[in-house]
Amino acid sequence: MIESLALILASSLRLATPLMFAGLGEYMAEKAGMINISIEGMMLAGAFSAILGATVTGSPVLGLVFGILAGVMIAFVHATFSYRLTVNTYVVGLTLNLLVLGLTSFLLDTLDLADSQLSKFEIPFLSDLPLVGQAVFNQRWPAYLLWILIPTVWFVMYRTRWGLDMRAIGENPAAVDATGINVLKRQRQGLLLAGAFSGLGGAYLSVAEVGLFNQNMTAARGYVVIAAVIFGGWTIKGTIAGCLLFGAADAMRLALPALGFTLNAQLLIASPYILALVALVVFARRSRAPAAYGRPFVRGLT
Amino acid sequence: MQMSTPKAGAPAHNAGAPAAVELRGITKRYGSIVVCDDVRLTVHRGEIHGLLGQNGAGKSTLVKILIGLAQRDAGEILLEGRTVDISDPLAAADLGIAMVHQHFSLVEELTVWENVTLGEAGRPDARRTRDLVRDIGLRYGLDVDPDARVEDLSTGERQRVEIIKCLRRDPSLLILDEPTSVLTLAESRELFTVLRHVAQGEGKTVILISHKLDEILSATDHVTIMRSGRIVAQRATAATDERELAREMVGRELSKWVAASALGDSDALIDPSLSTDPAMLSPVEPIHEDEFPVRLRIHEARVSRDGRPLLQGLSLDLRAGEILGLAGVEGNGQQVLGDLLSSLVELDSGTVEMDGVALATGRPGVMHMAGIGVIPEDRHASGCVLDMSVAENLVMSTVESVARRGFVSRKAIRANAERLIEQFEIATPSPDTPMRQLSGGNQQKVVLARELSLNPRVLVAAYPTRGLDVGAIEYMTERLHDAAASGIAVLLISTELEEILTLSHHIAVIHRGSIVGQMRRVDVDAERLGLMMGGQVV
Repeated sequence: MIESLALILASSLRLATPLMFAGLGEYMAEKAGMINISIEGMMLAGAFSAILGATVTGSPVLGLVFGILAGVMIAFVHATFSYRLTVNTYVVGLTLNLLVLGLTSFLLDTLDLADSQLSKFEIPFLSDLPLVGQAVFNQRWPAYLLWILIPTVWFVMYRTRWGLDMRAIGENPAAVDATGINVLKRQRQGLLLAGAFSGLGGAYLSVAEVGLFNQNMTAARGYVVIAAVIFGGWTIKGTIAGCLLFGAADAMRLALPALGFTLNAQLLIASPYILALVALVVFARRSRAPAAYGRPFVRGLT
Repeated sequence: MQMSTPKAGAPAHNAGAPAAVELRGITKRYGSIVVCDDVRLTVHRGEIHGLLGQNGAGKSTLVKILIGLAQRDAGEILLEGRTVDISDPLAAADLGIAMVHQHFSLVEELTVWENVTLGEAGRPDARRTRDLVRDIGLRYGLDVDPDARVEDLSTGERQRVEIIKCLRRDPSLLILDEPTSVLTLAESRELFTVLRHVAQGEGKTVILISHKLDEILSATDHVTIMRSGRIVAQRATAATDERELAREMVGRELSKWVAASALGDSDALIDPSLSTDPAMLSPVEPIHEDEFPVRLRIHEARVSRDGRPLLQGLSLDLRAGEILGLAGVEGNGQQVLGDLLSSLVELDSGTVEMDGVALATGRPGVMHMAGIGVIPEDRHASGCVLDMSVAENLVMSTVESVARRGFVSRKAIRANAERLIEQFEIATPSPDTPMRQLSGGNQQKVVLARELSLNPRVLVAAYPTRGLDVGAIEYMTERLHDAAASGIAVLLISTELEEILTLSHHIAVIHRGSIVGQMRRVDVDAERLGLMMGGQVV
C-alpha cells in the first residue's frame, strides 16, 4: 500500500512539473491582466522543439534550450499581434494553438526524430526518505530548477519595480499609463516570459519526462495551467498547489486501473479536466481576480 | 524695485514678478465646435484660483491643455513669464504641473506607498517611500498610513493619497478637477485646509475647478467664471457673492438653442416680470399643480455602488400630462436615475410606484412592462442597434407584436415600420436601411417612435437633443410636448438648462443624488436655479 502510494505521489509530481513551469509564467502574465490561451501552443511547440533540438544537436540539454526558444517565439507572435497591434487575444491564441498543433503533427510525420531523454538525478540521503524520498528527490534534473524559479518569481513580482508595474497593470492599466509607464510594452515582456516558462514546461514533458514526442503531446495541459492559476487565486502558492492537484488527478487516471479499480476509461481520461472545470466554478468567484483581468488595454483618458 | 513696463493685458499683481501661470488667447476647437475661445487667464504664485462653470463650459479642456492631454489650436502658455510648450503629460510634470483627477488613478490592490512609488525609476524602496509619505503627510496635514491597502481606505483618504502622489514631485502648480465630488462635507473642509497650506505655506499655485459655489467662495482667492468656452467674469473672491456667481455661471443671454426651438407662439401666459430676462421667455404654458394625478412616484430612493452613494434619498413625483425637467450638473445622480427607470439598477432602499403600485427595481423588464418608455442618454450605446435595419430597430422592444409562436413576421415588421416612419416623419431611404446610415436626428426619431409606439404611461427622455441639429431639436421638442399633452408623464433629464427651460412645466434640481429643490416653470429665476445647481438649498 505504502509502495503504491509512493508511486502515485511520484507520478503526480512528475506530471505536475511541466504544469508548474508553465504555471509560473502564466501567473506573471495573469497578474498583469492577461489571459493567454496560447500557453497550450507554447508548451506544445516547446515539447516538439526540444526533441527536434536534441535530435539535431544530439544533446537533450540543448533540446531544452530549443524548447524555451520555441515558447518565446510563439509568445513573440502573440505579443506582437495582441499587445502591439491589439488584435483580440483569444482569436490570436486560438489560431496559434491550432497552428502549432497542425505544424507539429505534420513535422512529426515528415521528420525523423530521435528519442532523447535527460538523466535522473538522485539526491543522496534525502531520496531514501520514506514515501516522499523517491518522488521529490529522484527526478529528472531540470525539475530541481523549480526550487530556484519559484522564489525568484516571487521576488521579481513583489520586490522589483518591474513586478510592481506588472501587478499595477493588472489592476488599473490607465493609472499606470498616466504615470508614464508603457503598459503594452510591459505586457509584451510578461508574455515573452510566460513563453519561456511554458516552452520549458513543454520541453520538460518531452525531453525529460517521456523522452520522445507524440502528436498533440500536451493534450490541453496549457488550458489546465490557466485553470491552475485561477484555482490558485492569482497567488504563487495557489498556482503551484493547483498544478499539483491537477498533476495528481492525472496520476490517478493512470494509477487507478493499475491498482485494480475499474472505471469507465473515458471518464478517467476526462477526470483531470472535469476537476479543472469544477475547481474553476467553485474558486473563480471566491478569490479576487486582477481588476483589469482579461480586458484589453486601450490608451486614452477617461 | 525697478519699474518694469507692464505687459499689455497682464494685470500688475506683484509688480515686476511674472505670474505663475499666464494663458494668452488660448483657443481650442473640436471640429466646428469651439470649446475654448480666446481664453486669457492669469494666476499668481501662492493663490488658489477657482475655475467655475457648468458642464461643457470649457473648464476641463482648458486644464487638459495645461497638463498636456490636449493641444491648443492657438494662444500662448507662460509659466513664470516664460513661454512653454506642453506636448504631453510628462512634459507638464517636468514643468512642475501636477493634477489631481476627478476620478482617482490609484491601484486599489496595492498599498499606499506602492501607489506613491509607481512610475518612478530604480528599485522600489519601501522604507524611503514610507518615510516620504509620512513626511508629506506631516508637512501638509495629509495623514495616511503608508502600509494600508488603498482598497481599504475611505474616499477622503484615497484623495489624500492622490494628492501625496502629486506633491511628491514637488510641483509648483497643482490643479484639482472637481475634487470634492466624491467627498463628504467634513472631508472637503479638510481638503481646503490642505490646499490653503499648499498655496500660502509652500508658495505653490493652486487651480481649483468646481461648480459648487460655496466651495469656490470659501476656498479660493480669485475666481474665473467660464461659459460656452469663454471667460465671462473674473473676480476677487472676497468681492463677490453666491448670487453673482450663480448668475454668471448660468448666464442670461438668449441662447441659439431657445431661438431655434421656435415655439414662441404659445407663450401668452408668461409672468410679465420675467419677460425682461430674455432667457426666461417661456413657451411653456403653466400647469396648475394638483391638476393631474401623480403617475410615477419615487420615494426616498437610495443606491450606492462600491460604497459610494449615488442616490441619497431621492424623492420625485411625476404627474400625468406634465413635463418635469430634471436640472443639475452632470454626475449628480442623473445617470443612476435613468438606469433605475430602465430596470438596470436595484434600490438599496426606497420605492418606485406606478399609480400607487410598487414596482420591483432592478428586475429586467419590470419598468418596461409597467409602461415606462426610455429614450436613453446615449442612443448609440443603448438606444438602438446601429447595424440593424430601421424596421428591426423599430420593433426592438415590441417583438411580441410582430411574432407568432416564436417566429417573427417580416411582413408585420415592415408594416409597423412603414406606419411609424410616416407618423414620425423619419427620413430614411427604406425601412431596410441600416440604422448607421441615418443622421443623428433621424436615429433619435427612431428611438422616440419606438418608445412612443408602446403607448407608455411615463416617458423618460435623457438628453433627448444631445448632438442634434436645430431642426431635429425643434422636432423633438414638439414631440415631447405632444406626448405630455396626450397624458404621458414625461421626465426630462438634461444638463442643458435652456432645454429644460424651454420644455418643462416643472423643474426639479438634482444635487448629490437627491432633489434639492423643485419649482414651477413660471417661478424660475436664473439666480435661484444656479444656486440650487451649485448645491445650495434655497
